[in-house]
Amino acid sequence: MIASLRTGLEATFKGVEVTDREDGMMFVLAPGESIPAVLRYLREHGLDHLALVSCVDWIEEGELEVVYLLTCYMRNNTDYGPEQRRHVLLRTKLPRESAELDSVIGIFENAEPHEREIHELYGVHFEGHPRLIPLFLERGYEIPPFRKDFDTRQYVEKTFGAIPPVED
Amino acid sequence: MDRNQITKWLKSPAKMAHKYSLHAVYFCTGCGIIEIPPVITTRWDAERFGVLPVATPRQGNLFMITGYVSLKTLKAIIRTYEQMPDPKYTVGFGSCPINGGMYWDSYNTIKHLDRYIPVDGWIAGCMPRPEAVFVGVTHLWTLIDKGKADGYLRYKRYYAAYRRNQEMLFGELQWPPLYPTEAEAEEARP
Amino acid sequence: MVTRIIQLLLSPLIALAVGVLFLGLSRKIIARIHRRYGPPLYQPVIDVIRMMSQRSISHGSLFELGVVLALAGSLVTVLFIPLGGTVICRQNPLAHGVLCPLSSSGGLLVVMYLMLFGPLGLALGAGDSANPNASIGVSRKLLLALAYEVPFLLVILAVMSHYRTISITEIVARQQESGWGVLSVPLSAVAAFLILPAMLGIRPFDLVSAPQEIASGPLAEYGGSYLALLAVQKGVHLFVVIALYVDLFLGGGVNLATFLVKMLVVFVAAEMIAAVLPRIRIESAVRFCWKWPTALALLQMAITVLSKSV
Repeated sequence: MIASLRTGLEATFKGVEVTDREDGMMFVLAPGESIPAVLRYLREHGLDHLALVSCVDWIEEGELEVVYLLTCYMRNNTDYGPEQRRHVLLRTKLPRESAELDSVIGIFENAEPHEREIHELYGVHFEGHPRLIPLFLERGYEIPPFRKDFDTRQYVEKTFGAIPPVED
Repeated sequence: MDRNQITKWLKSPAKMAHKYSLHAVYFCTGCGIIEIPPVITTRWDAERFGVLPVATPRQGNLFMITGYVSLKTLKAIIRTYEQMPDPKYTVGFGSCPINGGMYWDSYNTIKHLDRYIPVDGWIAGCMPRPEAVFVGVTHLWTLIDKGKADGYLRYKRYYAAYRRNQEMLFGELQWPPLYPTEAEAEEARP
Repeated sequence: MVTRIIQLLLSPLIALAVGVLFLGLSRKIIARIHRRYGPPLYQPVIDVIRMMSQRSISHGSLFELGVVLALAGSLVTVLFIPLGGTVICRQNPLAHGVLCPLSSSGGLLVVMYLMLFGPLGLALGAGDSANPNASIGVSRKLLLALAYEVPFLLVILAVMSHYRTISITEIVARQQESGWGVLSVPLSAVAAFLILPAMLGIRPFDLVSAPQEIASGPLAEYGGSYLALLAVQKGVHLFVVIALYVDLFLGGGVNLATFLVKMLVVFVAAEMIAAVLPRIRIESAVRFCWKWPTALALLQMAITVLSKSV
């Protein structure tokens, strides 16, 4: 199954790199514009649970890496074999300056808060997301705060250091 | 109750009642709230000191902030504090409300709680043990006795400064001022 | 006349003092069952003084009137309930030391009506505060009242038809002559004990003012002196319900002291059951109240009516 998934992925999509691992993990590196199609393909082939959407900032390479972690639901207690323990890590690399992706809410509905969070913390724009408003943050930030070039110490000194104590 | 206390009760019943009936609003921020269940249940039994958790700010007079305060939480804290009836006492629990603690360089966590609402006492530690809560309560008793636990009075006196600090963080606040600002007070004066 | 005035003043005061003491006792009993030391017995008094000296925040005139209505309703109910004493002369029980200032009028029917004042007053006041938690609490409270009123009315009907009177003083006097109600109408006594926690609002029926789920329900917006009055009202209501139980089933009291001892026994029994039970949901509460207590009360009704008509 895993082997067939690998060959199927490589045959269907162009520019997809698949790395298979011993422990049931499969790393899939896909270009940004083919992410929705790859996700739909994976979903049709049994990986029906989007566990997590995450992001990594590789500042030396000038790239943001968005990671989708897919697993499959256990249908019942008996079929918990290596088939069901599959994980697929779908990764894509975006340029830091113009980080844009298509939203995958149409495929996995639970991606909505994840995409909002990545948008506010990393500044990745998700095209087609119905409401890209801040989820956790209260203030506006010039640089999204989870990017590596965001200087927390300087920001703290500038923001919280400016607030004077209420002297009695 | 010894004889010394009876004379105190007769002299100022309100003050003594505030001492021995601290109904606490535990604001469950961060990890400090983990220490509160042992404090109020069988092991340490805060009820023998008269400390009892209440569900709404209208009924309480002790406000405990247990853990780090993020910006979003600070908004809720300010509103909860303003809803509590006077007299009220605020206690910061753990090192994060004092100076940020391990979140000293976090982009979204405030560093000094006493710049936004008045604080009557601190319980330092990361985390403080339940015994520290009781030491804090007995210290608060001493402060109430000496009339030094006057946070609610300070909030009224320096309300303009507190409000200015809150607005520096949040910009325009979505609720009206609790006390009239100086300009309004000037206008109201005949 | 003078006795009556003294009694009019005395019985609400007794209800206040004993009710607030019972509140403290309940906290102490629950603490001891949890193996805690617990607060002192006079802790509710300290709480009431503290709330009285706090700033009170009002939400409108109905918000204040609701509290007054609830407290006044509970205090007036006390006047209709005999608090111990032996009836020597049936025609004029007042002259012979029955502590019941309004014994000659009303009886059980008035008590039944007046006991609804507490929930109604609270519902009015809490409705004015426009707090969603308060609304949920009020709807739960009225639903719970509906649940326990059915068995309660059946119990009272059985007692009234057994003794052929609606006067509580008369019922107490008959019990002191010929055995307690718990022996002559036993199933009613059991049914009344089963709905006692629901009427008192203690566990497992404390879903009205559940702090963890609906932020103490109807009391959510009450603070300061309003909350103090409501705490006092809770104590007086406790007193009324338990005094009624003692009067109907445990033969009242020969004097005030024995009456209070009997009340203490009933209260501690109810509180010990409450301390080990969890809170149940409103639909389970209604289902329970309409099943077992109602069945027992109906059975006792049938037995009473059949045995009386023979």
